[in-house]
Amino acid sequence: MKKLRLGVLFSYLILFIFAVITVFPFVYMLLGGLMSFQETTSIPPTLIPHHFEWSNYAKVFAQAPFARYFFNTVLTASITTIVSLFNSLLGAFAMVNLHFKGKGIVQMVLLSLLMVPGEAIIFTNYNTIAHLGLLNTYIGLVLPFLTSIFYMYYLQSYFGSISQTIYKAAMIDGASDWEYIWKILVPMSKGGLFTVGLLSFISGWNSFLWPLLVTNEDTMRLLNNGLATFASDAGSETQLQLAAATLTVLPILILYFIFRKQIIQGVVRNDLKG
Amino acid sequence: MDDNKFVEVKNLRKVYDNGHEAIKDVSFSVKRGDLVCLLGPSGCGKTTILNILAGLLNPSAGDILFDGKSVVKTAPKDRHIGYVFQNYALYPHMTVLQNVMFPLVVGKHKKSKKEAEQIARKYMELTQITDLAEQKPGNLSGGQQQRVAIARALVQEPQILLMDEPLSNLDARLRLKIREEIRSLVKSVGITTLFVTHDQEEALSIGDKIILFNDGLIQQDDLGQNFYLEPNNYFVANFVGNPVIDNFKVTKIADELRASDFTIKLVDLDQSRFKREMPDGEYTLSVRPENIVPQEDGIITTQVDDVELIGRERILKFTHDNVQARSLVNLESPLRRGDQIKLGLRLDRIFLFTPEGERVY
Repeated sequence: MKKLRLGVLFSYLILFIFAVITVFPFVYMLLGGLMSFQETTSIPPTLIPHHFEWSNYAKVFAQAPFARYFFNTVLTASITTIVSLFNSLLGAFAMVNLHFKGKGIVQMVLLSLLMVPGEAIIFTNYNTIAHLGLLNTYIGLVLPFLTSIFYMYYLQSYFGSISQTIYKAAMIDGASDWEYIWKILVPMSKGGLFTVGLLSFISGWNSFLWPLLVTNEDTMRLLNNGLATFASDAGSETQLQLAAATLTVLPILILYFIFRKQIIQGVVRNDLKG
Repeated sequence: MDDNKFVEVKNLRKVYDNGHEAIKDVSFSVKRGDLVCLLGPSGCGKTTILNILAGLLNPSAGDILFDGKSVVKTAPKDRHIGYVFQNYALYPHMTVLQNVMFPLVVGKHKKSKKEAEQIARKYMELTQITDLAEQKPGNLSGGQQQRVAIARALVQEPQILLMDEPLSNLDARLRLKIREEIRSLVKSVGITTLFVTHDQEEALSIGDKIILFNDGLIQQDDLGQNFYLEPNNYFVANFVGNPVIDNFKVTKIADELRASDFTIKLVDLDQSRFKREMPDGEYTLSVRPENIVPQEDGIITTQVDDVELIGRERILKFTHDNVQARSLVNLESPLRRGDQIKLGLRLDRIFLFTPEGERVY
């Protein structure tokens, strides 16, 4: 009995330590964004600011067009999410339910493309976008991310777990493929679609390298690039950097807290599927 | 418009992409309003045929006519069929009512919500699921799901109902009840029904006629009792009947059939039952267990290995030529394990098959 309790205590201790390690940087970022310059650089370091400097945020917005960055990021992340979700939905449906010549080959080609890391083709993509004259445009920002083989495969495994007879039943009931997708497939795969949407939105939100390449005007920048330039521009003012970082991370954190359950379900499900 | 050939299948053949020939050459017809059972062991091609009839699979060769018109090139939704799947294939996110209404609110001929609900409710009443209207399929028992599936299949008022092993997921008692319900339901609606099953008892009890398949070919297309009394070949004789038929190796020499320890004179057989000339050689003598019974002047002398009670009767098990055989006797029979017995054959009820399985008597 005593041994058991010790074991439990020990595991809680480990959990606590890891939780602190994981959470501390976030907490410090939140607090640091509200400190004065002296507090962020003092030794020993300050943890709780003496006075909450909300004006830091006002300064951030004044020094760089963060509102514009926000708008750009929300816009591009939303467009890539909606369009790539739609494309992967249709692609995965076709791969699971339709029979067509060369399906195996298409599948194999797509799968082998999945093995190519995004960074490897980033310069050919850049050339394409540049030749199309799409540098510094929203289209240039989102175009390479409008389809995703990975999301398609994810949905394919999701749709594959729905019995084939459901599709057959819908066909006999007289439903067209389009009706099957919207009336049966989508409502039955809400969890998977939601996970894909969320993953896509988060990766859109966090994108850094691509927007850095295809934009060089301040008005077209996304949050992360804005943050990076802001960090070097306002290099000396640590408290403003932390406030800006908080601004960048906060929306995604809020998203996470709202959809915690669905995200975890999506990940767990993916694990079970292998 | 020949009502005797409401459904007609002509020289149907199906070869799968992997080269497996599921259906070799199948032709049959179904009378309007009949309930026909497609019976056979698993892998015999019966579900493949049902899928081809529904249009879910394309045949490699052959033709299918519904009411005299070829439907091979017709899409499933335009074939006027209803289909009940083995796993019911209910849409899990919809209520029972929405499931039953679904066929009416999709496709080219969709009806208004109100009209669809009216029709759906009519069939839900018929299948006694009105109380379940707002439930999701996940909360229903197997029997209830079955009824929902049938209501959904009937709601389009199809001309032909196809059922793929609809009872195999139910427990034994429910199966008996539902199969009677299915028969009375399809008869009251008057719909032509093809019912796939691997259970001979099920087929015998509900089918107006049975088509027995094996190995991609029709073995017998007949009324239920004829599978029992007049099997076409060795496979049919052995597939149908419970307890299974007894088989003895015999050799025909001149005018006698000789087994290891008994002899039958050909003149003692019913001459009208011979199908053709019997050249000398090896044959299989098959006899149903109720036609091989203990008699004082019986021709087979053996010992009872075991006695098994099956309700009203007992099965005496014995070994002949190293093969186990059975005799069906009355419940009151005093015979016990180890008893010496003499068994007699009812010669007008035996069958003789060639080694290839062809029936000659």
